[in-house]
Amino acid sequence: MMETQNRSKTLLEWLALDTLVAWVRDLEVSSHGLSWSRFCGSLSLVLVVLLFISGAFMAFYYSPAPGAAYDSVDYAQFNIPFGDVVRGVHYYAWNLLLVVVGLHLLRAFFVGGYKPPREMVWISGVLVMLILPAFIITGDLLPWDQKGYWSTQVRNSIMSSVPVLGDFLVRMLQGGPRTGIVALTRFYVLHTIILPGLLLLFIAVHVHFLWYRGISGPLAGEEGDQQKKVPFVPNIVNRWLFLFLVVTVVLGLVSWYWPAPLGDPADPTDATYVPNPEWWVLSLNQLVAIFKGPLTVIATAIIPGGLVALIMALPFIDRSPERHPARRKKTILIGAVIGSILLALALMGYIEHHLTPLE
Amino acid sequence: MKGRIVISMALALALVLGGMFLVSHDLEGATKMTLNVDRVKKAPTGLDDPVWQKARAVQIPFEGKEKFENKKATVTTKAIHTGDSIYFLFKWKDPTLSVTKGAWKYDGTKWVHQKGNEDRISLLFEIDRINKFATKGCAVVCHVPEGAPNAKDGKFGTTSAAEKGDLWHWKAARSDPAGFADDTWVTVISEKKGGRKSDAGGGGDKKNMTEDKSKPMYQLAPGKKLGKNGVLLADDAVAITNYSAFQPGDMLTYRMPKMPAGSRSDIRAVSHYRNGSWTVMLSRKLDTGNDDDVAFNPRKSYSFAMALFDDSGDEDSYDSEVMTLRFSR
Repeated sequence: MMETQNRSKTLLEWLALDTLVAWVRDLEVSSHGLSWSRFCGSLSLVLVVLLFISGAFMAFYYSPAPGAAYDSVDYAQFNIPFGDVVRGVHYYAWNLLLVVVGLHLLRAFFVGGYKPPREMVWISGVLVMLILPAFIITGDLLPWDQKGYWSTQVRNSIMSSVPVLGDFLVRMLQGGPRTGIVALTRFYVLHTIILPGLLLLFIAVHVHFLWYRGISGPLAGEEGDQQKKVPFVPNIVNRWLFLFLVVTVVLGLVSWYWPAPLGDPADPTDATYVPNPEWWVLSLNQLVAIFKGPLTVIATAIIPGGLVALIMALPFIDRSPERHPARRKKTILIGAVIGSILLALALMGYIEHHLTPLE
Repeated sequence: MKGRIVISMALALALVLGGMFLVSHDLEGATKMTLNVDRVKKAPTGLDDPVWQKARAVQIPFEGKEKFENKKATVTTKAIHTGDSIYFLFKWKDPTLSVTKGAWKYDGTKWVHQKGNEDRISLLFEIDRINKFATKGCAVVCHVPEGAPNAKDGKFGTTSAAEKGDLWHWKAARSDPAGFADDTWVTVISEKKGGRKSDAGGGGDKKNMTEDKSKPMYQLAPGKKLGKNGVLLADDAVAITNYSAFQPGDMLTYRMPKMPAGSRSDIRAVSHYRNGSWTVMLSRKLDTGNDDDVAFNPRKSYSFAMALFDDSGDEDSYDSEVMTLRFSR
C-alpha cells in the first residue's frame, strides 16, 4: 500500500484492472488444451470473433427495408473498398463455423467428453450449435435477394407444418402473413441483437462449465499429460492470435477470388424461382421430400426434435464412466448409424438439388 | 504423434476445401441463362479475330412478338473483356439484308419512299436498378402490360425516375454505317412521351427530305463515297441543286446516320452480312464515367435482355428472356 502511494499509478491501476490482468497472467491451464485434437474449439472462437467484426462493418451500410436492403448490400459489397472481402469473410465464416462446431461436437462424442462431471459442458455446447442455424436463417433474408426471399418461404412453410406452434411461430417471426418490411426488421433485430446476445450467453455458459468441470483429458493411458500445466499467456493466447491471423488471411483470399453470392433482387411475384437448399440443411430437406402430406410433421418436427433431444440427453443415457471409444462400441455404433443416415440423405439431396439440371 | 498431426491437418484441410466447394457451388435455383464474359489479354481486332474462337458461346433463344408472334429466332452470343473494355459478338440468321429504312426512289416523275425497314439488335442493362427487371426483363420496360404505371400508348420506359436503363441499339441502316451502335438510355415514362433518351452528345440520324417532305434534300457530296451497304452518311451529304440530273430508279438514303459524339459515341460497332447471316461486334469501355451508361464492375453480375428486329419497327420484335452477364477475372 505504501509503495502504491509513493509512485504514480499505472493505467491498469487507474482502470482497476490490475488484479484481473495479474490473474490472467498467472493463469495456467492443462497442457492438453494445446492438443491438435482441440483445434476446432479455438477455431470456432476465431470464427465467431470474425463474424462479429465483419457483421458490424456490414451493419454500417445496411438498410432493413425491402426497397433498400438489396441496394444497400450491393453498394457495400461493390462500392466500398474491400466490401466484397468483408461480406465474403462473413459468408464463408458462417459456413465454416457450422462445420467446425459440428466437428467439435463430434470429437466430444467420440472421446466421451459428455461423461460426468462434464454433462453441462456438453449440453451448453449443443445449445451453441443449435443457435447457429438460426443465424443463417435470419441472415439469409437480409440481402433481400431471390435466394434469401424464397428460401425463407420454404423454411416458413416447413415451420408452419409443426403442429400447434408452427403457424404461431411463423406469424411471430414475420409479424404478419407475408414476408415484408416487418419480417425483414424482425429478422434484422434477431440476427444482429438477440441471437448474438444468446450466442455470447451460451458461449459464456459453455466456458463457465469448462472452467469449473475442466476439459476432458486424454483417453486412458495418457493420464500423465493431464497433470502438466502451461501458462495461458502467452502459450494459449499467442496460438489463438496466430490462428486468428491465418484464418482471416485465408478467408480474405477466398472471398477475394470467390466473392459471396448476391443473387437477383427479391421478386415476391416470381413464383418460378426454386431455391436450392444449402448444404447444411440437405438431410432435413430430403426428409421433407420423403415424408409428404400428413406425414410431413415426422420430417419437420418428430425426427429433428427427437434427434436434438437424444443429443442433449446423451450424458444421461450413456451413463457408464468409460470414455475410450473402443470400449463404448454400442454408443459409437448408434452414433455412426445415425450419422450415416444423415450423410446419405444429404448426398441424395445434393445430387437431386445441385447436380440434377432443372427442367 | 507426428502422424496424428498430419492426419488431423489433412482431415481439416479436406473438410474446409470440401465445404468451400459445396458453399461456393452455384446455389441459385432459377433457370436464368448466363452469358460468361471471359477475360482476355488483347482486345479483338475484328469479327474474325482468333480470340473469338476461344470465347464461350451461348445460343440465346428469342420469341417473336406482334407480327412475329409464334416465330422464334436464335442469336449466338459471345462476350469477352480486357479489364478496360467489354466486347460482344452476335451472329444470327437473317435471309434478307434490310437497310432500306424508307429510302427514296425516283420513278421518273416523283420521289417515293421505298417499303422496308432495317435489321436491328438491342441490349438493355440497368444503370440504376429497375424494379423486377432482373426477373421479368423487358416485360417491365418495353412490353408493359395494360394498366401498369409506365404503360402509355405502347411507349417504353420505367415506373420511376430512380430506375434507369442503358439501351444499346445497333441499327443496320441508321448507326452501323457510321461504325457505332446508338447509345441511349431509358427512364421514367412521361405524360406525353416514352422514357427513351439519347445519351449526351450528338448523333443519331438526319432525315433527308425537303421542308414539304416531297423529295430528298441531300445527295452524296463530290469526292465522297457511300457508306456500308450503300447508305449515305450525313457528313458526306450535300444539298441537291439539280433534281433533273436524277434518272428513274435512282435511290437516296432517307435516314442518314450522323457521326456520334460525346457519351452517345461510346459503343463502337463492326459488322458484316454474309451468307444470310449478320455478324455484329459491339464494344464499349467497362466504365465510361458517364451517368447515362451502366458502369460494369467485373466483380459483379448484371441482368440484361435483348431484342432482335428483322426489317421491322419497335413493336415487331423478337425478345429474349432476361439473362445474367457474369464476368470472369
